[in-house]
Amino acid sequence: MDVAWGSDSGDELELTDSSAQTAKSGEIFEQKYTSWNGTLNPRWMRNWAILRHHLLGIFKKGHRPWSMPTRIFLLIAFIGALSDAAFTLLSGLLGSAEFHALFGVSRDNLYGHILGFFPRNVLFYPLVAALLVGSVISEDRQHGTSALYFSRPVSRFDYIGMKYLSVALIQSLVILFTYMLYFMAEILAFGRGWSWMVDVFPMFLAGFIAGIILIITYTSIGLALSSVSQGKFFPGIGLVAILFGSKTLAAIVKNLFEREILYLLSPYDCVAHVGQAIIGTQQTYDQYPWTYSLVALVAMNAVALYILASRVSSMEVTRE
Amino acid sequence: MDDDLVIHSKGLTKSYGPHVALENLNLSVPRGATGLLGPNGAGKSTFLKTVLGLIQATSGEATVLGLDIKTQGEEIRSRIGYMPEYDALNPEMDAIHQVRYSGELLGMNPVVALNRAHEALQFVGMGEQRYREIKSFSTGMKQATKLACAIIHDPELIIADEPSNGLDAKTREFMISTLNTMVHEGERSVLMASHLMEDVERVCENIVLLHKGKLAAQGRIEDLKAIDREVEIHVWGGATPLEELLRDRGFKIRREGRVMRVANTQEDTTTHILQAASEVGAQIRRMHEYEASLEDLFLAIMENLGYEIKSSDDLLSSPIEARRVDAPESLGGGAS
Repeated sequence: MDVAWGSDSGDELELTDSSAQTAKSGEIFEQKYTSWNGTLNPRWMRNWAILRHHLLGIFKKGHRPWSMPTRIFLLIAFIGALSDAAFTLLSGLLGSAEFHALFGVSRDNLYGHILGFFPRNVLFYPLVAALLVGSVISEDRQHGTSALYFSRPVSRFDYIGMKYLSVALIQSLVILFTYMLYFMAEILAFGRGWSWMVDVFPMFLAGFIAGIILIITYTSIGLALSSVSQGKFFPGIGLVAILFGSKTLAAIVKNLFEREILYLLSPYDCVAHVGQAIIGTQQTYDQYPWTYSLVALVAMNAVALYILASRVSSMEVTRE
Repeated sequence: MDDDLVIHSKGLTKSYGPHVALENLNLSVPRGATGLLGPNGAGKSTFLKTVLGLIQATSGEATVLGLDIKTQGEEIRSRIGYMPEYDALNPEMDAIHQVRYSGELLGMNPVVALNRAHEALQFVGMGEQRYREIKSFSTGMKQATKLACAIIHDPELIIADEPSNGLDAKTREFMISTLNTMVHEGERSVLMASHLMEDVERVCENIVLLHKGKLAAQGRIEDLKAIDREVEIHVWGGATPLEELLRDRGFKIRREGRVMRVANTQEDTTTHILQAASEVGAQIRRMHEYEASLEDLFLAIMENLGYEIKSSDDLLSSPIEARRVDAPESLGGGAS
């Protein structure tokens, strides 16, 4: 190459000779085994690799290839979830008390950011969860990449744990990070001081916990569906069907028979009921205490995690 | 443990309920290249999973690179490279990033893993293709990428499950020479499960043969081949008296028309044949040593011999007793 570009380094004769020798041997590819004496890092580094692979895949190439529709929808959901933060900033600029009452930080609006049915729990969060869980485990069955994990020193617990955590963290970016930005917008737009922050913090924290419960529930159910499938469509559509189907069925029964008990089968309604109780907004479920919903949530998560664990423990490394 | 052994097992048994997948395996796999052979259902996959420390053995004990499979599974998997038979690559990823990720899963630093991924892909002949998406790869390229994933951390033992499966002649040749290079230049050990006897014969010095979860044979290929060594003669006139005379003198003979194969169990077999031919007045028009291929050996052991064969010595010393164990009656066997 240097000869071709005329490096003029004074070694022309040597370079010419060496290129002539290479040409003489007629070999382009020389197979040479290179040994490696490095040290392998411990368990936390392997787990970090799985987490990093999934998280960074959202933003850049070279990591887990999330599909373009998933990335676009995540961006839309992220921007959409920030609408209340934008309106809060706007109300601060306009100085309108009515506008602030509609969108600014309050008990109802904090609840609404996490658990408001429309638009967040209809248009954003379940769809984000469905797109994320769709192929996280099922693709390993489909492509046989489970062998890549289990033939390495990665335990099945770490495998599930890191996949679960990565899906939950991406959802947190859309749900909890925007929730924090919303709170920050109020502080910035209205110059809120420490006393306000201390005053509102329990409410904020309750909303945050409700968000975590929502993310855990959607992720558990979604990954359980992903673990029983080999494609991305079934887990995604299955999660949406469970969330909306159970809610719709319970709403129909309530309207026809004035019985709310079927809401205990609806993951969204159970989370909403518990969320209303811990945030302290007005309860919309009157016929049974919120602890019933909490127990139902624990049961749903336990069943989902049992399915997930048993399916992953049976994943093969030699053939599927 | 003997330092020359990469895998050593004693009474290794694995049962799935009433089904015994591996029964009382006493294996010694030395350093170098070893072929793992056996028909479908022989227990090869179960053996590999047990060796990887992924499933617990029901009884018995085994070590891989001196590590206990029952308690040190993770450490074993850190020190071996496993190349699965089936697809184990994400088709949406570039080869370089897939190989790097496989290194990261072993605990390699991302930067180091990327450097090693370049080296590993270069070694398996994928240097120019490393930035292509795997979905655009041919079967051979995928096999090479899987091998790169397996060797990224320079493991002491590489377990390759059907490495030349589905490859055309050229890529198969390259895969075999790559494995050979790793064994002879890289001084790594390879345990290669394959149905292609020719490939096993070219790469491996040793074989382990499993049949219905039991060990059918193990040892050096050259030693095992001696079981089936024969002298082939073409006889003109007096073939039947010659056959009878040789049988009377204790030789085992297979005959088809004028072509006879005489078991070459003695050093002076050819002299005995010539003497016998001279005595009965038969003409021997052609005589040469017939050496069985590994495939012949495999078929001989699988079809004619029984479960109870444990080593080449057993095969050499008591083939008739062994044949009685489980080979079908049509092949000279029968219940013992």
